[in-house]
Amino acid sequence: MSHPAPASPPAAPTPRGHYRAEPLWVPWLCLAPFILTTVVFLAWPLLQSVLLAFKQTYGPRNAVWVGLENFTFLFRDPLFWKAVGNTALFALGSVFVQLPLSLGLAMLLNRPGLRGRAVFRLVFFAPSLVGLVFVGLLFSLMFAPRTGLVNTVLHGVFPAFDPEFPWLEVYIMPALILAALWLYVGFNMVYFLAALQNVPEELLEAASLDGAGPWQRFRHVVLPEIIPIASFVVLMSLLGSLQLFELPFVLLNGGGGPDNRGLTVVMYLYQTGFITGDLGYASAIGWVLALGMAMFAFAQKRFIRRHEEN
Amino acid sequence: MDIPLSRRRALLLGPIYVALTFCAILTLVPFAWLICAAFKTNADVFAHNFLPMGDGFLGVAWDRLTVANFERLFTELGIGRAIANSVMLSAVSALVATFFCALGGYALAKFNFKGRSFILSLVLASLVIPGSLLMAPGYKLIHDLGLLDTYAGLLLPGISPAFGIFLFRQAMVNAAPTALIESARIDGAGELRIFFTIILPLVRPMVGAYLMITFLGSWNNFIGPQIILQDPSRFPLSVAINQLRGMYGTDYGLIMSGTLVSIAPVLALFLLLQKEFISGLTSGAVKG
Amino acid sequence: MSLFARLRQVYTLTTPAVWILAALGLIAAAVVFSRPASRPEGLVFWLFSRSHQEAYQPVLKKWNAARPTPASTVTDLLLDGGALERRLLSGFMSGTPVADLVELERGMAGRAFSGPVEDIGFVDLTERLREEGLMDTINAPSFGPWTSRGRIFGLPHDVHPVLLAYRSDIVEAAGIDLSTVETWDDFFRLMRPLMTDENGDGRPDRYILNFWATNGDVLEAMVLQAGGGFFDDHDRLALDTEINARVVATLATWTGGPGRISVDAPEFSAPGNTLRLRGVVLASIMPDWLAGVWKMDLPELAGKVKLMPLPAWEKGGRRTSVQGGTMLGISRRSADPEAAWEFAKRLYLDRETHAKFFASTTIIPPVRSSWDHPVFARPDPYFGGQPVGTMFIEQAAHVPRRASSPYNALARSRLNDVLLALVARVNREQITDPEVLLPETRRLLSEAQTAVQTLIHRNVFLRTEAP
Repeated sequence: MSHPAPASPPAAPTPRGHYRAEPLWVPWLCLAPFILTTVVFLAWPLLQSVLLAFKQTYGPRNAVWVGLENFTFLFRDPLFWKAVGNTALFALGSVFVQLPLSLGLAMLLNRPGLRGRAVFRLVFFAPSLVGLVFVGLLFSLMFAPRTGLVNTVLHGVFPAFDPEFPWLEVYIMPALILAALWLYVGFNMVYFLAALQNVPEELLEAASLDGAGPWQRFRHVVLPEIIPIASFVVLMSLLGSLQLFELPFVLLNGGGGPDNRGLTVVMYLYQTGFITGDLGYASAIGWVLALGMAMFAFAQKRFIRRHEEN
Repeated sequence: MDIPLSRRRALLLGPIYVALTFCAILTLVPFAWLICAAFKTNADVFAHNFLPMGDGFLGVAWDRLTVANFERLFTELGIGRAIANSVMLSAVSALVATFFCALGGYALAKFNFKGRSFILSLVLASLVIPGSLLMAPGYKLIHDLGLLDTYAGLLLPGISPAFGIFLFRQAMVNAAPTALIESARIDGAGELRIFFTIILPLVRPMVGAYLMITFLGSWNNFIGPQIILQDPSRFPLSVAINQLRGMYGTDYGLIMSGTLVSIAPVLALFLLLQKEFISGLTSGAVKG
Repeated sequence: MSLFARLRQVYTLTTPAVWILAALGLIAAAVVFSRPASRPEGLVFWLFSRSHQEAYQPVLKKWNAARPTPASTVTDLLLDGGALERRLLSGFMSGTPVADLVELERGMAGRAFSGPVEDIGFVDLTERLREEGLMDTINAPSFGPWTSRGRIFGLPHDVHPVLLAYRSDIVEAAGIDLSTVETWDDFFRLMRPLMTDENGDGRPDRYILNFWATNGDVLEAMVLQAGGGFFDDHDRLALDTEINARVVATLATWTGGPGRISVDAPEFSAPGNTLRLRGVVLASIMPDWLAGVWKMDLPELAGKVKLMPLPAWEKGGRRTSVQGGTMLGISRRSADPEAAWEFAKRLYLDRETHAKFFASTTIIPPVRSSWDHPVFARPDPYFGGQPVGTMFIEQAAHVPRRASSPYNALARSRLNDVLLALVARVNREQITDPEVLLPETRRLLSEAQTAVQTLIHRNVFLRTEAP
């Protein structure tokens, strides 16, 4: 990292050696763009959506106060719970399938003496450069029964595999998890790779000399070092998963798929808000989701604080 | 047992190459499909997964490959204008957001002021608010502010995202020693000078990473511009490509060539920024 | 310090990407702002179909040339269907700008018709249509999807009657004569011999019908053909009817189990087209617009397909159905609704335009006086020289009526869920007889009815207006 040249004295220098306190207005000026846009484009609409959650609407012009009806209906709305289930499944897939794979790839790439690391890293990262329009279109073709690449290859390798395996009819969430795997595995790998580079090589050598096996080395040397980044990645991945929308939206042409097997919470929110026009109910859904997400964020913060104290 | 760790590791590299190559091929298959499709006629897209089979070299009908899709993109569909729009939108939003986020992150990381913890919780809270919750009231707001069908309507809400503030704050907490800033102040350096000559160079990787993130996000965003922009001559590339998915008939060759055109610039930027991007992306996550 | 050294110092402060992006952004901004987007004067016309847009160009040019001032010229704007829908609904609901004229697909229309009737964003055309005698010249069922609570909000663009397309090359080579077919049972009996397994993979090489458990479009067309539907003539929900139960149970046995005769070959998709080209699928439900799409997307099938009326559910039953549909609506906020109405009529009611439009899209107009135009009787080499226009027109009067309820899409997807559940059971228990499925079908349908009804009752805007 290049060190900056020592700053030349400004026009009106303060006396050398005199401690100048940090000016009070600087942080506020620095934060002004954030505060302004947050108030205008976040707080104000948010306030409106709070009010909306207690109304039934047809667009913003037709609104009838319904009190808690949106929330009471929400808790017995089978479609909402279906969306919650699907979204949770995807989140589990992200955290327990995608992230371990990302970590695994990162560990492979982190081997000392490995050549072509930059090329592999570029290759794995490349999918996240691609727009979702393409990803949706591509995977709707790849998961097609009989002719789709996924089934053709699986059937070719394992003849027992049904070439008509109905990915996009029955196994929509697994298909989405696979598509997301392709899309984001490299992205998360990059985080892990950087985290792993913080693990001191001598520590690993020492552990190895002490007779620690690979798992023990991972558990006691690698894991503690990467925990801060790993927990951040888990949180980001969780929050992203809970807001899953565009990928299934493009993949399933805007619908929830057969029997709403691909319906996610945000998709349901979008459908009720923009298609049925009930912004009130949509806001109620949004608030329940936001609450859930806030809980995860809070949990991560607590976890990290505890980790730092140790 | 006596083999040193480094030797053992060298022996293990073979299978690792195999595993990595296998994964790399899996990752690249869709790209291969994309590139093949971009150079095929629509009929061949339907008939063949990759290259059209025929009696040419290697059993591939090379003569059936065509650049007609690209010609149509640039002449008939005037995608050039969309590219200019996209470059403008993405570059401006990336530069502006990076600058303001760096400023905001700096304030949160290196200043002790009343209300800091409040602002920090505000940042964290904004992080967990689902964007879709704001879609409807936000659209109405853009309209009420007279920003509908303007680039400002698209750019303004994103000039200082909470995510960026958070990333820069995390990066600066560690990277910029408070002592350095204080001694600069003692030396009489102005606040702007401190920010530009001391702070920004220290978080150079994060600048690269965040530029890339915002550029990419704005480059591939298609729901936002599709709602806010009305005039097709203002459409960015992502919307123009999405428009290619007509209602009655899907021209895969055309869409794939458009996608190829749209990937090229971000790929170039990524190659340029790769090193900084990767170290920057992660420095934000080091401390929670 | 020299200027160069200073610049160099500034340059090294941050990553070169910043400077590159700044330069690129400046160049692009120069390009973008040197050619400011022109704001269209006069009327704006949103549409979602490229083939429509191309076909309308001559009419548009002529119309605009004949306007003395730009105030009533029309500028067309092609939008992706989803984008059009979002903008339109947002315009109607929150008062953001909408076009003067909007072409709308049926799937989107219901959503524009939810909410209070006085808040529907389109001009109520009922009186105009009546006064100008258009109610009689336009094929009556075509108004259905654009009628909400008795008022008509759109000029219908089409009829979209449905025929059956089959691979005449394969059928005729096998010596099968389909001219005596009256019912679906007849049809499957005659075609069944073609479902052989020559390549020995344990599956038939060909399937008779292009249908699968999640194809809501064809499911709806089939239900409508049988005389069923989702709503009754008074727009009341009617999912749990005996007709619906029989159709869904029968379709389940076509789609799964030992009696399966159908395969999934989605339209507009590479995998579906591959199956069509390979002859894996022998017959497809074919609305007129789809015939035009095939001619464009599947030129290889020219001369290998023929059309016939749909086989009926029962002897003497309806030999057609309906699928898809487009309307032209005028926004109530249009500055000049009269000019928009004139343009709409010029675009939708002109005989020669109908002929040209048919020639490019194979779509027949809903205006009956145009049906005797010679273009419709012209033999079509793609469909083995059949007079395709006449064949569709013959069925046009029999097209079933459809409802415009905002809950149509929901009801349809619930019916589809019932079908999915039945197909799963058919596969599990190897059922071939629809009768076996009927009790469960009735139960599932009544559950679906309750679920949709709950949502309809929840809607305070429809509730207060219920008759």
